[in-house]
Amino acid sequence: MFSILIIKELRAIIYSPKFTVTFAVCAVLMLLSVYIGINEYNRSVIQYRTAQELAEQRMTETTAWPNLINKAQREPNPLQIFAGGLNYDIGRWSLINREDSIKLQHTHYSDNPIYAVFRIIDFSFIVQFILTLFAILFTFDAVNGEREKGTLQLVFSNPVSRAKYLLAKCAGSWLGLVIPISIPVLLSLLLVVLFKVPLDGGDWIKIISFLGLSLFLFSFFIVLGVFISTLIRRSNISFLTSLVIWVVLVLIIPRAGVLAAGQIVYVPRVAEIEGRRNAFAKDKWAQFEAKMENTWIERSAESGGGCSSASDEKLWQWMKEDDAARKKVEIEIEDYYAKLKEDLRRRKAVRERSAAAISRISPASAYQLAAMSLTDTDVSLKTRYEDSMNSYRTLFNDYIDNKAEDAGPTGQIMIKVSSEDGFDMSSFDSDQSLDLSGLPRFRHPDRSFSESFYPAIIDFGILGIYTILAFIGAFFRFLKYDIE
Amino acid sequence: MKMENETTDRPMLEAVNLSKRYDDGVLALDGVSFEVKPGEIFVMLGGNGAGKTTALNIFLNFIDPTEGEAKINGIMTHFDPLKAKELVAFVSENVMLYENFTAMQNLDFFASIGGKNVYGDKDYRDALLRVGLLEESHHKKLKNFSKGMRQKCGLAIAIVKDAPAILLDEPTSGLDPQAGHEFIKLLDSLRGEGRAILMSTHDIFRAREIADTIAILNRGKIIMQKKASEIAGRDLEDLYLQYMAGHNSEVESPAIGGV
Amino acid sequence: MLRILAKKEVREILGSMKFVITFSACAVLILLSFYMGAENYSLSRAQYEAVMAQNMERLEGLTDWFSVRSQRVFLPPQPLASLVNGVSNDIGRTIEVEGRGELTADDSRYNDDPIFAIFRFLDLDFIFGTILSLFAILLGYNTISGEKEQGTLRLALSNPISRNLYILGKLLGSGIALVVPLVIAMLIGCLLLVILQHPMSGEDWLRLAIIIITGLFYAGVFLTLSLFISSVTYRSSNSFLLLLSIWIFSALIIPRASVLLAGRAVDVPGIDENISQKAKYSSQLFKEELAKISQFQPASSGDPEKMVNEFNRFMEDIADEREKKQNEFNARINEARNNKLRRRERLSFNLARISPSTSMTLAATAMAGTSLDLKDHFVDEVSKYQKAFGDFMVNKTGSKPGDRMMMMKIKLGDEEEPEQIDPNELPVFRYQSVSLAQSVKSSLPDLGLLAIYNLLFIAGSFRAFGRYDLR
Repeated sequence: MFSILIIKELRAIIYSPKFTVTFAVCAVLMLLSVYIGINEYNRSVIQYRTAQELAEQRMTETTAWPNLINKAQREPNPLQIFAGGLNYDIGRWSLINREDSIKLQHTHYSDNPIYAVFRIIDFSFIVQFILTLFAILFTFDAVNGEREKGTLQLVFSNPVSRAKYLLAKCAGSWLGLVIPISIPVLLSLLLVVLFKVPLDGGDWIKIISFLGLSLFLFSFFIVLGVFISTLIRRSNISFLTSLVIWVVLVLIIPRAGVLAAGQIVYVPRVAEIEGRRNAFAKDKWAQFEAKMENTWIERSAESGGGCSSASDEKLWQWMKEDDAARKKVEIEIEDYYAKLKEDLRRRKAVRERSAAAISRISPASAYQLAAMSLTDTDVSLKTRYEDSMNSYRTLFNDYIDNKAEDAGPTGQIMIKVSSEDGFDMSSFDSDQSLDLSGLPRFRHPDRSFSESFYPAIIDFGILGIYTILAFIGAFFRFLKYDIE
Repeated sequence: MKMENETTDRPMLEAVNLSKRYDDGVLALDGVSFEVKPGEIFVMLGGNGAGKTTALNIFLNFIDPTEGEAKINGIMTHFDPLKAKELVAFVSENVMLYENFTAMQNLDFFASIGGKNVYGDKDYRDALLRVGLLEESHHKKLKNFSKGMRQKCGLAIAIVKDAPAILLDEPTSGLDPQAGHEFIKLLDSLRGEGRAILMSTHDIFRAREIADTIAILNRGKIIMQKKASEIAGRDLEDLYLQYMAGHNSEVESPAIGGV
Repeated sequence: MLRILAKKEVREILGSMKFVITFSACAVLILLSFYMGAENYSLSRAQYEAVMAQNMERLEGLTDWFSVRSQRVFLPPQPLASLVNGVSNDIGRTIEVEGRGELTADDSRYNDDPIFAIFRFLDLDFIFGTILSLFAILLGYNTISGEKEQGTLRLALSNPISRNLYILGKLLGSGIALVVPLVIAMLIGCLLLVILQHPMSGEDWLRLAIIIITGLFYAGVFLTLSLFISSVTYRSSNSFLLLLSIWIFSALIIPRASVLLAGRAVDVPGIDENISQKAKYSSQLFKEELAKISQFQPASSGDPEKMVNEFNRFMEDIADEREKKQNEFNARINEARNNKLRRRERLSFNLARISPSTSMTLAATAMAGTSLDLKDHFVDEVSKYQKAFGDFMVNKTGSKPGDRMMMMKIKLGDEEEPEQIDPNELPVFRYQSVSLAQSVKSSLPDLGLLAIYNLLFIAGSFRAFGRYDLR
């Protein structure tokens, strides 16, 4: 009996003209999105490699250790094909050297604002906007449409229990939509394999759980449609209602939620933090300069009037002392900046949490958040890279310092102007390139499946709960449904 | 109100060798000719796809004939459709009106686009009362109307238009006996005013009750046309079945299927 | 007669449940977007002012203009940009000005605050692009096919009205039912801006008016399209399905896909290569200069102050020469890239213009000053400032700070305490957005395109309805 009802639902869906249209649209869009995603990924790999080579080349051309500048790049992530997330909004690289602190700059969108005009299209976009719309489109009249046609009365003139009927309705619609849609999904995966996108085992597990997540969202909207159709007696009104609900859940709440969270927690701009650091640095350097002035006056007195009369050896000794003092100030400033950034990060974390909490009212944003987490393109992408770049920077700078110590003064120019000796300039430059074989290299932070999956658990839960609630709602409505 | 040309013998509605072949090759109407004079009710009987509705569609210029012509008061419908349509009122099988409008609003709209005359609320009220819709229903929305009330409302629209010819497409199908009877009585009174009425139906009982002339259509052809007086006393149902049987035993006609 | 038809249409639409549901949703969203825009603006304004204050604080207490090595300038938040975001959140908002050298804008809002990038903002462009078009479709999808199903079409056309007149009445009526409520909602939105004290200038209001008109044109395209589709279909469910598919492609797919595909067709070399080439050339120039600098001998020996000045002048000349060379080099390698960028831009947008949503977005962002040109315009504006800043610094110190020479002055003996500099003397960066005439000029083709779409679909519906099968 149950299978008869399910088969009837399947038939009703598959034979309907709207099925052909929607199936074709979905299939085309999914394949298109994956194809575009693969292309964009390949492009960013090329861009990444070129940038790597250029940075390397720049380093080999440097002749003095203190002048060495490295660029740490964000590595393209093949999972961005499925959910681009914030990949295009976060800077691609940061300079690694003594003076500059870690700052991811040159986002894909700011380099190529043309892509920002309409943004990109990816698999999660298709699921979030198109599949959910189609789920609603197929189920908004599941019950009230049958009542209007009179078939509902006919069915219940037979010994069929209502619970069974509703269950079959949901299961049938679910199978009727999921089975056909899984064909283009499998084709997209095939596309990924054919184009030889480098995916390891962990990536595949992430992709599969991402697809599972998409299925969760899709199921929710199917059940939601059935629920609405039991709630509203006329199918044309239930159609409008479900469309409005779709608009609110998918288009409005995610955006409004984040913006509301932005209002709750004030987060200063990075430029403001930098301004604060600069003001602090200015004071520190002013103190430093005042101190240096005294030191040099003492020194010139020590060497018997005028610095120039001191031996070169002594001069170098002094410069070394100055260097050490300068480094101390630098570290002080850096510590201060780190503290500021820590504070900024804390505020941002609070805002992110509240934004996520508010927008998770909508299953569509729960989906989006989880999808980004599963594909490692979520908000933490930025901090993840910043952290690993910071530790790399420490390694890099220590290495450079050691090397510079060994190599002696190179890459510096000193110009002296004094009333006694006039003008004098000395440069310590060598034409020899540096031996970079021992230079520590940047390793991009890798997330294991469990690390990616952990933040998404709550979203899986939310989607599951919403689906169950909608089903329960439909179930109880239908038990008391006025069939006439 | 009496029509001034009641006494003349000139037909109000006239079909001359009317044929219609659709793009898919189906011959829906095959050389049909008839005429309806003022004060006369002409009933087309026939099964589904016999061509009755096609004939009405040509009179209303919803479609053009492939051959022949349909004339209303001498005006060819596909030649000057707007002028012709001033002279006809139309009542369809299931009178479907604007569900969200009241009966008065529906009447107002359709009467206003109906012709040159200026109408007022009084005309609408009179028409609605005449078809038997009580005052309290005049300001109710159509979605609350029963089938019989809708049909009456449709007839009221035709009455307000005050056209010399009325075309009805299966007007009594689905009505309960009493509503059907009232409807026929109304048609009778409209005939009494000298209007030419062309009606399609497959309701033999009603056809017998009201018709001046009965034509039986099958596969686009009139296979029998008789005055009511000619068939007085004979069982029309027997006659119908007899004619149909006779016609269908003929050589297989090319026009299979229907519209 | 036309009046009767139009009046009936308006009455029917306004009285329907469909209108009540969709319009109230649409109106709420329009108001929400105005509100969000204003709130968003005040948030960015607060951030911006904090940044500016910090920036000035940095200069306080300095005793020497030499220490002012650079000045940071920021793209101020624009009242219209928060209503129509365009690319304003994607491009860099901060530029470090050193008096010379190439300018790069960094710190895009989305890079700073990626949380906002997840779902982006709820702006007018978005509301117009997705919601308004959907609203127009819902209003018009069953104009003809619905009447056909209802049976009222046959009844209406059994009367002496021509089909052209009938569909004209439909068009007028549904047009009025679409435009009037929307205009009212938008006017309330504008009132909201006034109440929230959104700082709009007279010109801004004019621009907003044009943006709203663009939105109405765009809604018109979808209304006429629905009329057209509903007069070529016989069942309103089919008509809706078709329109929904068109909507998905037009509002969501075509703009994105065509930009991505055009990006593949025109291969623009990455910015990294460009930057690295420039940097390489710069260090090459520096090496050459080093040789020159080491040969410097001051004419006047004795007074260090004079020597320093002489040296600065010498360095300034070298820097000028370097700047000239570097600029020539940059121009050369930028030109090739810019040409390709422009080609890609043209191709992408022309391809994307198949969808009216593209035209709407391009016209609206051009009017709001947040189109693709914003990036270049901002840099151009800052270039002007850079010149003023450089001249000011030359005036104060004899050289531009961009020469990148660390200067450590050591005073021997007692001199009087130097006076502090007054940071307010610095030239102030005033951002001038693109002129109204320029904005109108760049949005006019797209407005024209929208008008053409309207006419095309109107003509299409007349033609299709003329042949509509009434059986």
